[in-house]
Amino acid sequence: MVELDDLVNDARPLANPITVLREEFDDWAVLFNPDTAEAVCLDPVGVAVWKRLDGQRTLEQIARDLEDDFSEVPATAAQDLRAFVADLARDGFIGYEVTGAA
Amino acid sequence: MGAPAATPGPAPLMRTPRTVHIDLTASCNLRCRYCYFFNNPAVDYRDLPTEEWLTFFAELGALKVMNVILAGGEPFKRPDLPALLEGIVRHRMRFALLSNGALIEEGIAAFIAATRRCDYVQVSVDGASSAAHDAGRGRGSFKGAVRGIRVLQGHGVPVTVRVTIHRHNVGDLDNIARLLLEELGLPSFSTNAAGYLGSCQRHADELLLTAAERQEAMAALLRLAARYPGRIQASAGPLAEGRTWARMEAARRDHAPPFANGGRLTGCGCPQSEITVRADGAIVPCSMLAHLELGRIQRDSLAAIWREAPALAALRARSVIPLRDFAFCAGCAYTAYCTGNCPGLAYALTGQVDHPSPDACLRRFLADSGRLDAILKPASPAAARLE
Repeated sequence: MVELDDLVNDARPLANPITVLREEFDDWAVLFNPDTAEAVCLDPVGVAVWKRLDGQRTLEQIARDLEDDFSEVPATAAQDLRAFVADLARDGFIGYEVTGAA
Repeated sequence: MGAPAATPGPAPLMRTPRTVHIDLTASCNLRCRYCYFFNNPAVDYRDLPTEEWLTFFAELGALKVMNVILAGGEPFKRPDLPALLEGIVRHRMRFALLSNGALIEEGIAAFIAATRRCDYVQVSVDGASSAAHDAGRGRGSFKGAVRGIRVLQGHGVPVTVRVTIHRHNVGDLDNIARLLLEELGLPSFSTNAAGYLGSCQRHADELLLTAAERQEAMAALLRLAARYPGRIQASAGPLAEGRTWARMEAARRDHAPPFANGGRLTGCGCPQSEITVRADGAIVPCSMLAHLELGRIQRDSLAAIWREAPALAALRARSVIPLRDFAFCAGCAYTAYCTGNCPGLAYALTGQVDHPSPDACLRRFLADSGRLDAILKPASPAAARLE
């Protein structure tokens, strides 16, 4: 399991392809894992993050994207992003490319 | 009582339905006397071929539907059920099945378990013995239901039971709860009552609960719910009514402000998130409103129907219709706390969808000599407030 402290800014999280993103009114969305029946609600920033979890972008790049796309991004945004991604990983919504593995 | 709060508009609409109910087949191995499905003159009782359902499941997957609830008829009568379930799973949805249990065999139970996408299989059990259950559902049906439950349990498939309460099993509720929760070890079961729908309309006098029997059922279920905490559920029928009516009576006595959902036809939220497809492919709001054809699968876009069908929009707009507009509710002391209840039963009983349902009307229950104090004394904190 990936814990918050394990996440480094050059991690490249990848959305679990089985996960369904249901975009609802007002740009909010529901993430649904049909294998586990887990569902979480995403606000518009969470949706923007989710759409960037392609296994190519690093957390650092995603944080920069958010600064470009949203106004009034708080100073804690990078830390919030890491916590958010760690939560998604804990619940099976995302995984990581493991680098340096044998 | 204070002035009513500002009337809220309908809740925000999901972009697509979250849950789709599908009457997968018009065929059934049983002919239950209170079946809501059969003997509806508005329904064309025929089945669609496998390919048409599979195409429809692809459409549901594209719309990001989360759950499909398969009923009928008896869904286990379809020999292509594994292929249909595979189609649902392939498009990243979960499913549930509503069944009488009698046709559930080891092979299909193992298949369901292997999908890992089954929320539950709901089996109908209406008695604690063959005598009680088979009286409503036919000879041998009790043994079939219990066997089906045990087969599912053996494969680790989540099983739940629905108990439909009627005049012949209302005295058997303690035994039913003991069978389901203790002998069969189910985590929970749900209850409803036979309603004036489908086949039941032909046997209404014989089956539908009188006020006295409804009172008996409410008292028994509230007592059992206290004995088995969290394990007996109901969204309609005597248990739900016992709980709701207790709150309504307490509010009336305390001159409480109107309930947030009270005073309007808010009794059904299903059209905000769910839709139904009949066995013949007609898209309808609900099996209990099976006459309201909104379109057809293959021919019409479900997404367009969801957003644009006038009949669906009208159903959603029910929630702003005040109960004070109805002569049926004139002078009722409970109006501010009442939701008007199920539109399907309202239609069946009055011929109007936009009408309160007389079936779950507290004032009518009391006028028919029903008593709340007798029901609520032993089990509910609300009872103290009724003294």
